[in-house]
Amino acid sequence: MMEDHWEPKILAFLCNWCSYAGADLAGTSRIQYPPNIRVIRVPCSGRINPLFILKALQSGIDGVLVSGCHPGDCHYLSGNYVGRRKSVTLKRFLEYLGIEEGRIQFSWVSAAEGGKFAQVVSEMVEKIKGLGPNTRFSTTLFS
Amino acid sequence: MKWKLEKKDFQKFLQGLMEDYDLFAPVKLTEGVSEFKKINQPEEVYLNQLFTQKPAKEVFFPQSEVMFHYEKRGGQTQTISLEEIERERILLGAKPCEIKAISIIEKVFMSGESIDVYFLEKRRKTIIMGLACNHPLSTCFCTSTGGSPFLREGSDLFLIDLGESFLMEGITGKGLSFQENKFLKEPSEEDLNTAQLIESKAFQKVDSSVPVEGIEKRLDLMMESTFWNRVHEKCVGCRICTYLCPTCHCFDMVDEGGPQRGQRVRNWDSCLSPLYSLETSGHNPRPTGRERTRQRIMHKFNYYPKIYGQVACVGCGRCILYCPVHFDIRKAILWTSPKRPKKYEERSSS
Amino acid sequence: MIQEKIREIAKDLLRTKKVDLVIGFGEWTLPLRTTPLFIRTPEGADHLVWNSFCENNLAVYLHKFNQFKVGVVVKGCDARSIVALTLEKRFKRDQLFLIGVPCQRMVDRRKVKRAVQGEILHAFEEGDQIFLEGEEFKTTLRRDQFFYSSCQTCIHRTPLHTDVLMGDPVEESPLTEILPEVKAFEEKSPEGRWDYFKKEVSRCIRCYACREVCPMCYCEECFVDSSNPKWIERGQLPSDLMFYHIVRAYHQTGRCSGCGACERACPMEIRLTYLTQKLNQEVKDLFNFETGIDLEASPPLSTFRMDDHQDFIK
Repeated sequence: MMEDHWEPKILAFLCNWCSYAGADLAGTSRIQYPPNIRVIRVPCSGRINPLFILKALQSGIDGVLVSGCHPGDCHYLSGNYVGRRKSVTLKRFLEYLGIEEGRIQFSWVSAAEGGKFAQVVSEMVEKIKGLGPNTRFSTTLFS
Repeated sequence: MKWKLEKKDFQKFLQGLMEDYDLFAPVKLTEGVSEFKKINQPEEVYLNQLFTQKPAKEVFFPQSEVMFHYEKRGGQTQTISLEEIERERILLGAKPCEIKAISIIEKVFMSGESIDVYFLEKRRKTIIMGLACNHPLSTCFCTSTGGSPFLREGSDLFLIDLGESFLMEGITGKGLSFQENKFLKEPSEEDLNTAQLIESKAFQKVDSSVPVEGIEKRLDLMMESTFWNRVHEKCVGCRICTYLCPTCHCFDMVDEGGPQRGQRVRNWDSCLSPLYSLETSGHNPRPTGRERTRQRIMHKFNYYPKIYGQVACVGCGRCILYCPVHFDIRKAILWTSPKRPKKYEERSSS
Repeated sequence: MIQEKIREIAKDLLRTKKVDLVIGFGEWTLPLRTTPLFIRTPEGADHLVWNSFCENNLAVYLHKFNQFKVGVVVKGCDARSIVALTLEKRFKRDQLFLIGVPCQRMVDRRKVKRAVQGEILHAFEEGDQIFLEGEEFKTTLRRDQFFYSSCQTCIHRTPLHTDVLMGDPVEESPLTEILPEVKAFEEKSPEGRWDYFKKEVSRCIRCYACREVCPMCYCEECFVDSSNPKWIERGQLPSDLMFYHIVRAYHQTGRCSGCGACERACPMEIRLTYLTQKLNQEVKDLFNFETGIDLEASPPLSTFRMDDHQDFIK
């Protein structure tokens, strides 16, 4: 086990209509960005159940990114607005409890913003590398 | 045989025990809250509360217990069952009521054709050092259920706190085997008299008026009584009474993991949860709190006595002390008896 | 006397059949406690009491009785829970008759027990004193030194939107910028906060008393009981205990009235109010929303504004 060469594992929830397409564009445009993210495609950033984020952290994921359409561009008109309120309350609550600031991040990335997506991911990976592995929920099922 | 153990030798006595046994005793979790745990240092033993929140049953029947785990290696699935215990154990500081309760649970887990090896193994390999109740609470009613604050039955060694020392009585062969222990001295006449005095005072204090006597027959006639329509109303359906009850022993089996590796776990469950009797079809034979509260009282005071000849309640009073809505089982028992209050209003809730 | 007024109004409501039952508090067997009573006859109303030990939030029973017309005795916090439930359309406001009692704060029976040596056998109140008697002691305590922490920081102790008020409204407490419990917790480092939280919930025995006494926890299937998806296991894994409490608190965002019933119910004396108090604070700062005050407001997480805070989004 190469313990000294730890790479962050980041889960990215991307909304189908904007952010997922943006990520796809980054790929087709051959923009390089760190390979540390695992993508889960959701219909809308408003679909995110806070339990998704928490379950990811409990499972040992080092960071969670939630990305959706810019305000006004939501395919479902207002999903991202609803998601915005859930996001801010959850983020502040988890930081209050002691989850390090920066482990959970949110972005608006449109289908045309391949470059922005790559930048968001790169910055996030840097940040998580600085924070270190997520050890908050360190019990594993079979320990 | 009786011995005296000076409190100044208590830590060293425990240290000696820990060389040969795993010692389980109450440990402080926070002010006013303690739990039976395996001790790493004698200093951890905390006997300041009359009893712990969770009773001693959890030493034999843990709240969450892995029964076996499995792992697939090279096409073969290897299963490892976990009932075996390496070291013998000592349970120190259990009260007479919860020790009696263990024998009540034993009847379910260790008799007839189905023997629960997980329970049996722990029970077989544990020496019980009970601790008498010098100052029972006003909520204690062990004597109404056939027990006593100084009940020695079930203990291998019985301790009585005399202030500066413990009086220790060897009750069974396992208990008597400690007679060579270098810390155990000869008790004086005064020690024995002090113990006698404490015992009779404690016995007097406990409420023996709760009409448990004959309750099985009374409940036989009450299955459809309107009593059940009201008695459950304030119950919110949490699990405090069942989890803290020394005799309650319902459990739920769950499988965790996946095809590659996993485990089977037994967790405490409660008949007061609506999920307990919920069937896959969606039908629930105990759909409301009325049926569930009725079932709890019937199980303790009618069904269990029918099978095993004694009530499944030891009068410890935990359910009364910790219920968030102040349900009092003594009142429910009273209502089944001829002593119940006549006025309707007194019965309109419970 | 408030107690007499409550009895009178309950009698009147039952006699005139304005309600099918009245839910209030009554004496039971233990000192420093009352118990919820369900009164259906005018004579039964004589059992209703009002004192510093009426600590339960009776709104939790309204779910069971939502087919009936119910009168219920409410403190400030209980009334806020009912307003929150009305906004969530759990029942119609006109099927309730709220008997509001301006609250003088409830006494923390555990704090009282810790202040004496020996079991308390009798307790009674007179003015601002509590008289306690045990087998071998008699003592008097000042009630204002033994309030529940949730009562100490309660702002609206006079229940709002009630049908009647049993007594003169009590003064609103001054608004504190940050609640003391939250402030104390925030002063720790992130590791310190997580360690404190982890240690507190490590005592949890999954009895769900906190959930069952909470008027806002009425989901037909709670997330902990869900097996598909299975969020957490049913055992005692520390990470599952933490998961449960984080989510239960989070599910109160914009809904919690701050009554403290959860903390009072816990048999293992786990601190819980510092969690929901923070969420209440955030909801106030971000959306200018306070649970249970405005009957016309929308619950904050079921609505939005175009100019909602979004500095945290990249």
